[in-house]
Amino acid sequence: MVKLAAKCILAGDSTVGKTALAQMFRTDGAHFQKNYTLTTGVDLVVKTVAIPDTEDSVEFFIFDSAGKELFSEMLDKLWVSPNVLCLVYDVTSEQSFNNCSKWLEKARAQASGTSLPGVLVGNKTDLAGRRAVESAQAQAWAQGQGLECFETSAKEMENYEAPFHCLARQFHQLYQETVEAFQALV
Amino acid sequence: MRKFDLCLNSEGAEVILATSSDEKHPPENIIDGNPETFWTTTGMFPQEFIICFHRHVRIEKLVIQSYFVRTLRIEKSTSKEPTDFEQWIERDLTHTEGQLQNEEIIARDGQATYLRFIILSAFDHFASVHSVSAEGIAVSNFS
Repeated sequence: MVKLAAKCILAGDSTVGKTALAQMFRTDGAHFQKNYTLTTGVDLVVKTVAIPDTEDSVEFFIFDSAGKELFSEMLDKLWVSPNVLCLVYDVTSEQSFNNCSKWLEKARAQASGTSLPGVLVGNKTDLAGRRAVESAQAQAWAQGQGLECFETSAKEMENYEAPFHCLARQFHQLYQETVEAFQALV
Repeated sequence: MRKFDLCLNSEGAEVILATSSDEKHPPENIIDGNPETFWTTTGMFPQEFIICFHRHVRIEKLVIQSYFVRTLRIEKSTSKEPTDFEQWIERDLTHTEGQLQNEEIIARDGQATYLRFIILSAFDHFASVHSVSAEGIAVSNFS
C-alpha cells in the first residue's frame, strides 16, 4: 500500500470555471458556487483519490490559482515543481481554448525537464446552445499534446471527478514505472 | 578504536522517521547494508528521514547511494532525543543516468547521535535512497 502525494496545478483563463471544478471535486458535488468570485491568490484544495483495483491512493494538493493576466507573475512561484496539470477551458469561449497552448507551455516550463501528466477539460457543457469549441477539435489538439481530454459541467455535476481520477491513475502509473527503474539500477 | 559502518541495522542504527512510505520500499532499506533494496519518496519535496544511532558516534566519512536526488541537506543532533538539529552539510548532486548516485562526503565535526537527511529537490517526481553508510567510531553509549 502506498499513498502518493501530487501537486496538481489548475490552469486556464479566468472565468472558465477552475474554482467551480475544484470545489465540486472537493465536496463530492455538494457545492456549486452560483456567484462568481475572482480568484486573486491561490486556493489549496486537498483531496485523496483511491486507485481502483489497488490499495494505493493519491493525495492531491490542487493549486487553484488566478487565471487573470494581472496575477501571472505570482504563478512562477506557486507553480514550482508541479506533478500533474489540469488544464481548463470554457466550451463557449474559443479564446479560452486557444489560450490553452500558452498555459500548457507555462506549466511545462515549471516542470524543468520532467514529464508532466495532464488532462484537458472543457467546462460548461450545460451551455449547449452557446458552444464554440467542438469536442473533436479539442480531442485532436489534446492528443497532439499527450493530454487526456474531458468535458464537464461543474454546474450540472457532470463528469467533474473524471479528470482527477484520470490524473491519479497517470501519476500512480508514473510512480510504478519510476520504481521499476530504481529496481533495475542495481 | 575500531572504525566501522555506523549506519547499519545490524550495528544498532535505526530509521526513526521518514516522510514517505511505500510498504514495498520501507525506509529500513536504507540501512540494511544492501544497495539493491531502497526507500522511495512518494511525491512532492522536501522529503526527509532521520537515522538514530542509539549512542554517541563520531563520523569521518559518509557515503550516500541514491537516484534522482538533486539537493540534499544533512543535519545532525548530539542530543539524546531527536531535537536540536543543526545544519551540517548541503550538497547539490549530479544526475547519473542509469546508475546510482554515489556521494562521498568527508565529514568534519562528526559528533552525532542522530542524522537528519532532507531531500530538498530532485531530478524527477520521485527519488530513491539505496544506502547511507557512515564510517566512524562509537564514542559512548547513552548513560
